[in-house]
Amino acid sequence: MSDFWIMAKKEMKNLIRDKKLLFGLIIVPLVLYPAMGKLMHVGLEKAQGETHVAIANFDDGQYGMVLVKTLQNAPNVTVTLINASSVERALEFAAKRDQNVLVVIPHNFSESIINDKPATVKLYGIFRSVSTGMKESVSEGRINAVISVLSEQIARIKIQKLGAGSPDAVLHPVRAESMSYLKNRIVPVSPSIVSGVLASQSITLPIIIFLMVTITAQMAAGAVAAEKENKTLETLLTLPVKRTTIVASKITGTALMGLIAALAYMVGMRSYMESLGVQSGISLSELGLQIAPGGMVLFALIIFLTIIFSLSLAMILAIFAQDVQSANTVVSSVILPLAFPAFILMYTGIGELPAAARYALLADPFTHPIVAYQYMLSGNYTGMLTSIAYLAVLAALTLYTTARIFSTEKVLTAKIGRGRKS
Amino acid sequence: MPAVKVENLEKDYGKVKALRGISFEIKEGEIFGLIGPNGAGKSTTLKILATLLTPTGGKAEIFGHDVVKEAPRIRELISYLPEEAGAYKNLTGREYLEFMARLYAKNERDSAKMMELGIKLSGLGGRLDDKVSTYSKGMTRKLLLARALMVRPKLAILDEPASGLDIINAYTIRKTIREFARSEGVTFLLSSHNMLEVEFLCHRVALIDEGRIIDLGTPGELKERYDAENLEEVFMRAIGEGGVHYE
Ligand SMILES: Nc1ncnc2c1ncn2[C@@H]1O[C@H](COP(=O)(O)OP(=O)(O)OP(=O)(O)O)[C@@H](O)[C@H]1O
Ligand SMILES: [Mg+2]
Repeated sequence: MSDFWIMAKKEMKNLIRDKKLLFGLIIVPLVLYPAMGKLMHVGLEKAQGETHVAIANFDDGQYGMVLVKTLQNAPNVTVTLINASSVERALEFAAKRDQNVLVVIPHNFSESIINDKPATVKLYGIFRSVSTGMKESVSEGRINAVISVLSEQIARIKIQKLGAGSPDAVLHPVRAESMSYLKNRIVPVSPSIVSGVLASQSITLPIIIFLMVTITAQMAAGAVAAEKENKTLETLLTLPVKRTTIVASKITGTALMGLIAALAYMVGMRSYMESLGVQSGISLSELGLQIAPGGMVLFALIIFLTIIFSLSLAMILAIFAQDVQSANTVVSSVILPLAFPAFILMYTGIGELPAAARYALLADPFTHPIVAYQYMLSGNYTGMLTSIAYLAVLAALTLYTTARIFSTEKVLTAKIGRGRKS
Repeated sequence: MPAVKVENLEKDYGKVKALRGISFEIKEGEIFGLIGPNGAGKSTTLKILATLLTPTGGKAEIFGHDVVKEAPRIRELISYLPEEAGAYKNLTGREYLEFMARLYAKNERDSAKMMELGIKLSGLGGRLDDKVSTYSKGMTRKLLLARALMVRPKLAILDEPASGLDIINAYTIRKTIREFARSEGVTFLLSSHNMLEVEFLCHRVALIDEGRIIDLGTPGELKERYDAENLEEVFMRAIGEGGVHYE
């Protein structure tokens, strides 16, 4: 095995055995996220179960009973008819009987319908505890749906009585058929769904990149600062290993761990989203946004360069810290502000910004993965290649600086503020 | 060719002049000690020789190689035990030694031999399979000394090898060094403020104070020169404060 791999392996072993890191990198995304999703899922499932509806029918006419029948025939609804003297009594009764909703049909319900006035039905969601609200709201939605079917039915009957030939055309005189036009192509999907798919993509990606950049930067800084804190740096620097190998192995070790972390976060996120039912069932390729392998390679290269940049920057910063904690502080205060502007691009395409803002954002290397993603979807390879050139120069510069500092005594003597050596 | 040749070495840390021109030579196979009070410049000298610091002036050679210009070559010849040092906490003692052996050894056989020696020198037995984070100060120091010696360097640079240890641990460490030097013929450069330690271990010593070497010789020569019973007295007289006798 070469020196490089011996060192990289040691870095990874050291990181993997770090309990705090392991918790943040593996346990949180792979266990906590899905568990959270599962819990939400259980809530949703419960909400989709049987709805227990109590009905107090005070109506004097025939339409109240029609409504009751319609509800009785609705799926997943159990109807209990209540004979009560007042609404209060009906509510008490419904609560005692574990009902979710009380529907009160007023005495003038049929009368209003016959007299061409809007009729009112009152719905009471019944909360037995303060902790669960989801079930009640969903049941209300279901009853509202039943009521709208009912009112449409009644409207249809009335229209027919008025002698219109096609009640549907009166009820829905205009119908919208929405489609989307995207990348010179008509996609038979409504714009709200398309923008939903695009939005979910443009939110998850920056979050994952942001997490990955900050986490790996912290790891790299920690890997350097821990050598100082645990007093292993001096020994390390006298070993018969090239200083560039030391730097490269640290970067590789953390980058590999970062990759594992990113995968863990992606898997975790996905299962979290899935259990929330966020999937629209429509993939990017169905929208005509296939990503060519070439674009994918360029995108991966951009991510790689961004990470190299952030890792070597973090290592330079960590050289000035004496322990892991201060290294984390220093790195956070530099990398977080740099990584943050990337979120602006969650809401706007880079091309829609005024030139000054665009260049200011593009000067920040951490915006490039997001921009590159937009470029990749729209097939703008020139833009991606420009990003690669810019990032490559930046990464090479910081990497070179790191290697330079590591090959001088500065790596031992540099510190921020006043030193305290006996 | 001397094992170590230091000429007029100077080192400034900003305004602090840590070394003001020191010179000495160490013969191959010799155990050479630097003794002096806190802040005398012992660690600074050793760090320059270990390629960690660059001197402000003068020059230093190890087996004919310049410590600045040929630093990578020097690192293949030496092994350095810092004054304050630790090992990787998340590794076990054995893994730590293995990691080091792999870096120094040319092949599996060499590395196995180094491991065997390292395990013996450390004297840690079954505790080698525990994480370094569970070790006491003495155990860590023994592990670090074992790793410094097991690679059989041409020159071992040890900065206060037994500092901060109890009598028993310090004694074992000194004995390990002396036996190793005898059996392997490795050249040693070590620093200490413990005069007993230096007398026990060193063939020759240099007295160093405020960045200068004030005298140099074998313990016997020095005691004779200052008409002193031990090196402590030698040192006090050499820096001109040994005038008062209590006899
Ligand atoms: N990194 C540093 N920055 C500034 N000054 C330093 C630094 N390291 C050492 N010095 C100063 O250089 C001088 C020599 O220090 P050095 O550590 O070489 O002494 P020493 O003989 O090893 O002392 P000790 O017995 O306490 O270990 C001291 O005055 C010290 O304060
Ligand atoms: Mg010292």
